[in-house]
Amino acid sequence: MTDRFIAPTTIEDALAILARDKAARPVAGGTDLVVASRQGRKPLPESIVAIHRIAELGQHAVNDGSLVVGALTSHAWLAGSAEVRRHWTALADAAAIVGSPATRATGTIGGNLMNASPAAETTAPLVVLGANVMLRAIGRGSRIVPVANLAVGPGRTSAAADELLTTVIVPLPPAASGSAYIRLEYRRAMEIAIVGAAVLVTLAADSSIASARIALTAVGPTIVRAPDAEAVLAGGAADPATFRAAGAAAAATARPIDDVRASADYRGAMLAVVVTRTIAAAVARARGDAIPIPASRWAHGQEA
Amino acid sequence: MQARPIRIADLVSPRIAAAHILDQDDEEAEAPVTENDQQPPADLPAPTPPWIRADGQAKATGQARYTADLAFPGLAHARLLLAGRAHARIVSLDTTRARSLPGVLAILTQDDVPEHRYGSFGYVLDRTLFARDVVRFEGEVVAAVAALTPEQAAAGVAAIEVEYEDLPPILDVEAALRPGSPLVHPAIDTYGHDPNLEPAGNLAGRSTIVKGDAAAAIAAAPIVVRERYVADMAHPVPIEPHAVTADWSGDRVTVFSSTQVPFAARSRTAEVLEIPEHRVRVVVSHLGGGFGGKCDFHFEGHVAALARAARRPVRLVLTRHEEFIAPDKVTHGMVVDVETGLDADGTILARKARILLDCGAYASDTPVLGQIAAMMIAGPYRIPAVDIEALSIYTNRTPSGSVRAPTGPQACWAVEQHHDVLAARVGLDPVAFRRLNLVHDGDEGPTRQRHEGDGAHQTLEAAVDRIQQGEPLGPGESIGIAAGWWFSAPGPSGAFVRIESDGSGRIVTGAQENGTGAVMALPILAAEELGMRPEDFAITYQDTDTGPYDGGSSGSQTTFNNGRAVIEAAREVKRQLLELAAVALEANVADLELRDGHAGVVGSPDRRVSIAELATTAHGGALLLARGSGMPPDAPEHDASACVGRLGFESFAAPTFFCHAVRIRLDPATGIVRTTKVITATDVGRVLNAPGALGQMTGGVVMALGNATLEGTVFGADGLQRNASLLDYKLLTTADAPEIEAIFIENPASNGGPRGSKGVGEPPIVPTAAAIANAITAATGVRVRRLPMTPERVWRAITTGDDGAAEANAPFGPSETALAELAGAGTGRR
Repeated sequence: MTDRFIAPTTIEDALAILARDKAARPVAGGTDLVVASRQGRKPLPESIVAIHRIAELGQHAVNDGSLVVGALTSHAWLAGSAEVRRHWTALADAAAIVGSPATRATGTIGGNLMNASPAAETTAPLVVLGANVMLRAIGRGSRIVPVANLAVGPGRTSAAADELLTTVIVPLPPAASGSAYIRLEYRRAMEIAIVGAAVLVTLAADSSIASARIALTAVGPTIVRAPDAEAVLAGGAADPATFRAAGAAAAATARPIDDVRASADYRGAMLAVVVTRTIAAAVARARGDAIPIPASRWAHGQEA
Repeated sequence: MQARPIRIADLVSPRIAAAHILDQDDEEAEAPVTENDQQPPADLPAPTPPWIRADGQAKATGQARYTADLAFPGLAHARLLLAGRAHARIVSLDTTRARSLPGVLAILTQDDVPEHRYGSFGYVLDRTLFARDVVRFEGEVVAAVAALTPEQAAAGVAAIEVEYEDLPPILDVEAALRPGSPLVHPAIDTYGHDPNLEPAGNLAGRSTIVKGDAAAAIAAAPIVVRERYVADMAHPVPIEPHAVTADWSGDRVTVFSSTQVPFAARSRTAEVLEIPEHRVRVVVSHLGGGFGGKCDFHFEGHVAALARAARRPVRLVLTRHEEFIAPDKVTHGMVVDVETGLDADGTILARKARILLDCGAYASDTPVLGQIAAMMIAGPYRIPAVDIEALSIYTNRTPSGSVRAPTGPQACWAVEQHHDVLAARVGLDPVAFRRLNLVHDGDEGPTRQRHEGDGAHQTLEAAVDRIQQGEPLGPGESIGIAAGWWFSAPGPSGAFVRIESDGSGRIVTGAQENGTGAVMALPILAAEELGMRPEDFAITYQDTDTGPYDGGSSGSQTTFNNGRAVIEAAREVKRQLLELAAVALEANVADLELRDGHAGVVGSPDRRVSIAELATTAHGGALLLARGSGMPPDAPEHDASACVGRLGFESFAAPTFFCHAVRIRLDPATGIVRTTKVITATDVGRVLNAPGALGQMTGGVVMALGNATLEGTVFGADGLQRNASLLDYKLLTTADAPEIEAIFIENPASNGGPRGSKGVGEPPIVPTAAAIANAITAATGVRVRRLPMTPERVWRAITTGDDGAAEANAPFGPSETALAELAGAGTGRR
């Protein structure tokens, strides 16, 4: 049972509570915490540090080209920001489809990352975009951790119990880049990814693919990169046959699970389809073509 | 009878289309709107008539109080101990430790209530309030705890010690019928039952629809096609979970319940507690949706007994997980084997079919639903010879029962796909095949009832015509159609109408408003009779103490029966008013009319007197008060002499005819189907309340779409539901709702509801899945014979040819043999 609840107004105060109260856990929008507790999956923490009043955590800016957003930044803001949609498009693709409008208004990027679900929408885009997070603790200052190294398993992160995720920093992709995130969805709201893929491609001067990063959602205990698929794309022609080959490569090494939502068979086959389409969307955007946000909607019926 | 097509679409669907566009704008700022060829009008048209239902404001503003919102002094909280396993013997049950916990006020098991077996409508009396010795499905109630707080009640439940001996769950309906199968109800021969049924073994009931000699006709037919279709169980998922509060006062109990059938809840509560019915009152606050899931006696008896033992009001509210596993009203899983004999030109000669209904652990009302399923497999088609049997089979799954249009969506999905297969077989397109075989006015139904009107053809033509308008089909896009029929349910129902001293009106009815607006629309009927406005009427409803009997919000019956009662009562009040007016105006009653709140001489606008004035006069004398209890119309003439298991649906009263045409965009790489447009054309006899009818259409279509491709309960081999949560039991949301247009055709029924109207609550959900299935085949060339047609199943059908119906066609014969062996002698035919 929760018997301690504090809502500090500064980061320092929040850090002080986390340091002295071993059972204290931060909560922002609560969209994962409360739902899990209601369903009986995870009881509410004994001690809650509510961080929603900390103004500094809600700030966002573009500094020297990098996107710098506080942990309290909502999915709705990310999905609607003209800057994010233009330069970090995969992130907007993902933020636009988290849950429902109500979830997006209340849920935060910090919460999404610290919840460390293998099916989180925003994580794969942040991984391919090379994003980092800042973790702060009292007496230890701050440290920078790549998003790719934050989650270590379903629901578990490499953060210490007294650390607070304060900021997400996303560097500006190189020129001639495009990014996209697509999930396979049976319905278009209140949905969780069956499988998902995020892709960042950079085109060379001759329009071939100079480099690519691919990250996969819901096919492992954490978000994983797809190095074999990336290798197919690097230096390759930006054409459908290459995209398909990369999709097949991504599916070949994946070990998706059987569960009530999909069989392993179907998931594996769909991974190839989703990766192929996500690459096509990212390449189109790199060329300057408009693919609507969220790309998951556009994906229906596209070449596979 | 002249048909008068009404295009409600012109009036109201721009609002639906506009709402759809607005939704898209919010979510996809940069996406061009391509799925909708209508522009949103600058000013949305006003609804016709300009009338707000009496409960609308409260519900929309959050002020409406539902059962779980009601406050009581000293309220205690209930929690149920559910079995949590599909089939087990109870070796021991010890509540001692639980009773000693702080705050626990009362704990009940079957030992604490009368040993009484009951069953819906008396079909098979196979149920006790709590489990006795055996649990037969995971949601079976083993015990109930009342405590001061919900947490203490949960702790009490957790402290009850039960030792189970697990038994193998019976989950295969065909295996359950074979001789030697383990039995869900070993003592079934000792159960009381309806005399038209012969429960035996794992068979709760068997009904047939038989006309002529189908076997001989099929044997002689030039073309015979036989197929199997399999539908999974599904859930009604009302947004409000079951909630019951019982409050005793002396030897009387008031039960506030989220029930669709207050009178049935009252009778059964009185029955199981062995107290007189007049000491039980059932009141429904506002109902947060039912869809059939609340259409029976549920937990009223448990909670009333707990409240009596605890000597305090006690409230039970199910969690969402409990809502999935405990109430015994889910949509049937079904296996349909259908065989049709055809002439070379595509004329249907005969149909034979066997339907296996999974009724789960308790029969509930499944036996009668089998009859309905059989009628649905015959459909609104000209078929000279018919032999369709429906078997209700026990398994250890959640008991199934009358969810909205019970068996309709599954049966229509099977038979309308079958009709497209037949059409292809003789080289006819689906529309031409239906033009050839759908019934016309005067044609004979499957039990020889005479069809009235040409609604089947009119709805087909209207839907087909409309779906073909608009943009040409793009890649992955296709169209599918499906036709069908559904009944109205005549039944007893009463109402009072009074005019108060100030001239306002009040309708007093026992009818239940489950959200359709059927009760809320009763003032329209009274107002039309009395020359008043609907908003002049208040309604007292859904309280067994105040209103006369009504069957509840099920079977599309509220307007059909209670509407007639209200009209009858209003006409009597009209007679009373005109008599008073004749005196006041010194005129003959025959020269008077009621209009605009006045009684006046026809043709003389100055010679009139207000109803308010007449009411003041009446208030000092005979009062203005009347009753109506319209005699239910007779079933249409028919011949069911060759049918067995006759429970009342061997003919369809005032059938509604309909056709849905859908447009889909299928993604063959993933199997995902997006339905972009649904045209519904429905012969409802008479439209009484246009926005209400449209509301039923749009809501029904959205519910049907969920059932078609998204929902479906997944069971493990242990008999437990694997997706008993809203995350994994996926409902359609507005984000996926298609553009929906409703076309209404009016062929007033001679033996129908008010003004010749027919039921409108259930038909909307029946044919949509079938139309989508046919569209899937049009888009891919493959057929999916498993419902729901999930993306994975569609994908599998495309990539491997596996249609999902799992087993090869089974011959019809063995069911007869199995029945004979179970019954011990002969064929068990009555």
